[in-house]
Amino acid sequence: MIRKWKNKMRQWLTNQMELPADVVADLPRITMIGHIHIYIENHRGLLLFTDRELRLLLKNGQLLVKGESFTIKTILPEEILLEGKISQVLYLEE
Amino acid sequence: MKNEWMYQLTGNLRVRIVGKGLERLLNEFTRRGIYVWNVRRERDDSLTCHMLLRDIHHVRGAMRKSGCKLYVLDRRGAPFWLKASWKNSGIVVGVVTFICIVFILSNMIWRIEVTGANPEVEHTVRQQLKKIGVERGALQFVIPSPETIQRTVMNNIDAITWIGVEWRGTTLYCQVVEKKRPTETKSNTPQHLVAKKKAVITYMFVEQGQAVVEVNDHVVPGQLLVSGFIGKEGQTEIVPARGQILGETWYKSTVAVPMKTTFYMLTGKKRETHYVRFWSWKIPIFWDHEEQFSQFEKQVDEKTFRFFTWTLPIVYEKVVWREKEVAVREYSYEQAKAVAKQIAREQLQRQLPADANIQGEKVLHEAKENGKVKVEMHYQVIENIAIPQPIIQGD
Repeated sequence: MIRKWKNKMRQWLTNQMELPADVVADLPRITMIGHIHIYIENHRGLLLFTDRELRLLLKNGQLLVKGESFTIKTILPEEILLEGKISQVLYLEE
Repeated sequence: MKNEWMYQLTGNLRVRIVGKGLERLLNEFTRRGIYVWNVRRERDDSLTCHMLLRDIHHVRGAMRKSGCKLYVLDRRGAPFWLKASWKNSGIVVGVVTFICIVFILSNMIWRIEVTGANPEVEHTVRQQLKKIGVERGALQFVIPSPETIQRTVMNNIDAITWIGVEWRGTTLYCQVVEKKRPTETKSNTPQHLVAKKKAVITYMFVEQGQAVVEVNDHVVPGQLLVSGFIGKEGQTEIVPARGQILGETWYKSTVAVPMKTTFYMLTGKKRETHYVRFWSWKIPIFWDHEEQFSQFEKQVDEKTFRFFTWTLPIVYEKVVWREKEVAVREYSYEQAKAVAKQIAREQLQRQLPADANIQGEKVLHEAKENGKVKVEMHYQVIENIAIPQPIIQGD
């Protein structure tokens, strides 16, 4: 109940005050450069990493990145920079 | 993200991690602040990545529970490079030593060539060179310049007229011109002795021959003094006339001495700057006080270096500025006259043979004109006036 209310409050704030959603709602910010780089901020940890797939834990659900010849250029507690040939970026809900 | 060269400086490792739950391990690394990059999956149970050398101890702690194993594949960066270069330092030292030795040997004198002198003179020249440090094995930048060598040797050896010193590679060539000594041979060909100049005979010593003139006789050039024909009338014999005939001769000379002279005099103060010149860049490496002289003489000494047969473009240059100042010398009339007399006497002595003797001097005329003192001198000189004249026998 409280959680639901909190979420609604957040959405309202974002809409009303024109704040960036990732700051207010603790959502990931994903930056892609073509299909060769993907930069994901605000993730919650690495779940799976192979050269064709990257699975990241988010606050709500997971992020799945598919492609070829993946390399993690940088990994920090809340940021990750992936290089390779990206073909899909998928959200998996809980 | 940090810069790539920072890792190069602090040292980094490429490692392979083998085991299960590699994703968990990567999360553990990030949580502990261990920085990894270029993570690449190899197989299901292994991945390669780069990490910093300074994190390696923390990595051990992070991996303890994971059951994974870490293999180091490659070491990069300054710490490893230094370690490797220390290992290879033997070669570096060897190469540097070799270059140094070749450099030193290239700048040594290997041969001193003396030409144009007979063995005796050559020996004295070599001795003299040795005395000033020029010998085989001496370093070229320690020994004096060719001009200095030339001057020293010429001043110290009487038997040579001139010596030319030249560098050609590691050989020093000395071209010697010997003095031609008049050969003091007692000529056995029949000869007369005749007068060489106008004189009054003061002393006669006849070794061989028939004296024709007497003491206090006045003779003219070419006059017969001692005849080569001896013996009584009818049974004459021809001999080489020999002897010493001294006569009083006269010389006149005129010398003008300015009463006021302006000339430059070195004060003894000097400024030195040492340069190393690479091609045309001149870099001062050492200099003493920065005192500027308004009037100076500049002297430049250059030393070149050689490597094998090549002259290196590195030149050591020493520039010396010597301060000079204008000095004015003023003579009184009497002083100027004395100086003129002295100069005249020295001039005369220089042109007379060594055995001549100045008997007397007289001032013929003295005058002061255009700020100069002009003195005309007359000298009486006692000298040997006899010169041989061969007797050509016609019959």
